[in-house]
Amino acid sequence: MSIVELQIRHDFGRFALDVKASSEGPVLGIFGPSGSGKSTILNAIAGFMHPQHAHLSIRTRTVCRTPGGTVVPPHRREVGYVTQDALLFPHLGVRGNLAFSPRCLGLDSLGGKRILEVLRLGPLLERPVQELSGGEKQRVALGRALLSQPQLLLLDEPMSALDARLAREVLALLLEIKRTLQIPMLLVSHEESEMAALADDCILLENGRVVAQGPPLQILARPGRLGGFDNILRLEVARHEAERGITWLALPGQQQLAMPLATAAVGQAVSVGIHADEIILCRQRPDGLSARNAVRCLVDSVSEAGTDSLVRLKVGEVRLFVHVTHAAVEELGLKPEGDVVAIIKSNSVVRLQV
Amino acid sequence: MTPAELEIVWLTLRVGVLSVAMSLVPGVLLGWLLARWNSPLRALVQGLIMLPLVLPPVVTGYLLLKVFGVRGPVGMAFDAMFGERIAFTTAACVIAASVVGFPLMVESIRLSILGVDRRLEQVSRSLGRGRLGTFARVTLPLALPGIVGGSVLSFARSLGEFGATIILAGDIEGETRTIPIAVYGALNSVDGEAAALRLVLVSIAVSLMSLLAAFAVMRRQRSQMA
Repeated sequence: MSIVELQIRHDFGRFALDVKASSEGPVLGIFGPSGSGKSTILNAIAGFMHPQHAHLSIRTRTVCRTPGGTVVPPHRREVGYVTQDALLFPHLGVRGNLAFSPRCLGLDSLGGKRILEVLRLGPLLERPVQELSGGEKQRVALGRALLSQPQLLLLDEPMSALDARLAREVLALLLEIKRTLQIPMLLVSHEESEMAALADDCILLENGRVVAQGPPLQILARPGRLGGFDNILRLEVARHEAERGITWLALPGQQQLAMPLATAAVGQAVSVGIHADEIILCRQRPDGLSARNAVRCLVDSVSEAGTDSLVRLKVGEVRLFVHVTHAAVEELGLKPEGDVVAIIKSNSVVRLQV
Repeated sequence: MTPAELEIVWLTLRVGVLSVAMSLVPGVLLGWLLARWNSPLRALVQGLIMLPLVLPPVVTGYLLLKVFGVRGPVGMAFDAMFGERIAFTTAACVIAASVVGFPLMVESIRLSILGVDRRLEQVSRSLGRGRLGTFARVTLPLALPGIVGGSVLSFARSLGEFGATIILAGDIEGETRTIPIAVYGALNSVDGEAAALRLVLVSIAVSLMSLLAAFAVMRRQRSQMA
């Protein structure tokens, strides 16, 4: 089922938007330079602007057909709208913000509790919004949107106002939302790492037009596009080895990933980041290795761009992106479904938290 | 102060409160309209509302008399319906005070609504609140400092209202004799200077207190929003 169908034509005078796309998501990324019309598309879907010519559907329900057809008002479109500045209501506390929507799931209901738990909002409930940090504000904004039971979550640069560390944490939360709550999302971003980590399908927008659509890596790896980026993983703590200063995280297939000793209970999920440049690939597990981690992976895809290659590995459902040179791809014979071992120092596995 | 002077002060305060009460709902609606309505007609409407601020109050009073007087359309209709007149009653004082204080109230509310981030209203809409619900739950509470400030300014303005009142309501003891009218009357009588001075002092005190109250409310609201 398509999560969204877009047909928009609108002439702003100095700039014209002419977009036609549809996607099955579950997460559709809209990628492009600033001024390319990304946010305008979200505004049209949310119902904040009415394009001159449009046919918009959210999960097969037509919400806007112009000129002359149905235009569903914003409050009946059932979308969650989250922007870079959290836009919390300043006259309400955290609880008042979360419970604002008339469609709000009760905070004590099963679904409500789950959302509060995923976003760790419990301890913030009675706080005034003025006292929250940037990351906390964004968590509340996400919770407020999710509690309103949206059919589609619209994310307009949700991480761009946060510093790198907080941005990765929010990204980890979005991954967790995607995995556990299964709400389709439309993500507007100009960050490659956010797109690659979160989106399943991606639209590249330039000057108000769709110039490409496809899997994020294929889109992002167009010549001149590739940037360095991080892997964001959310894994459960398997065990601690306090005397060696190591915490082991559970990976699919009985494998484990070592990281510096972390204060987290066994079984608790933690978010970690690993930079794509800090992973080394080998054909076999080497002897006498100083790095703690040698993870057996399958190659998922190899994308070439400019002077580098981006290899996507899979360990069960976990994905790891690795930067290597073209020469390395050839030497190691990396191709989809081939075996490879990823060497990662435990110190390269960085815990992310707000 | 004599009982008659106390009565004057009491009447003045009553007129002020009633005029604010009467202007509040139309003031909020017009303030919102002027802040959010994009139309070439907006400037004209705004100009008409602002007119009493710059017109000589006596002119405003004369125009009001033409409408609300015994031979004015509203005055005649009121007389036909209730058998009473509007001009030269306390109601006339309230009307004069409302009209003259209205521009101050509307402008203050307009500015505060302009200051409300429209994207907060959009978020409210996307969360499922309709136009009215969004207005009541987001716009209005966030514009509250301006609404309170505008009300107090309009109240303070009504305390000093003279020109329009003397034309529309005259000088009737116990009914339309407010502080400014009483001061004028006292200064024109042979030995009224002492009485005038007492009323002047009360006038200063009440006006100052209402302004200080307005500032305090606005400051508190602002610090809550920050």
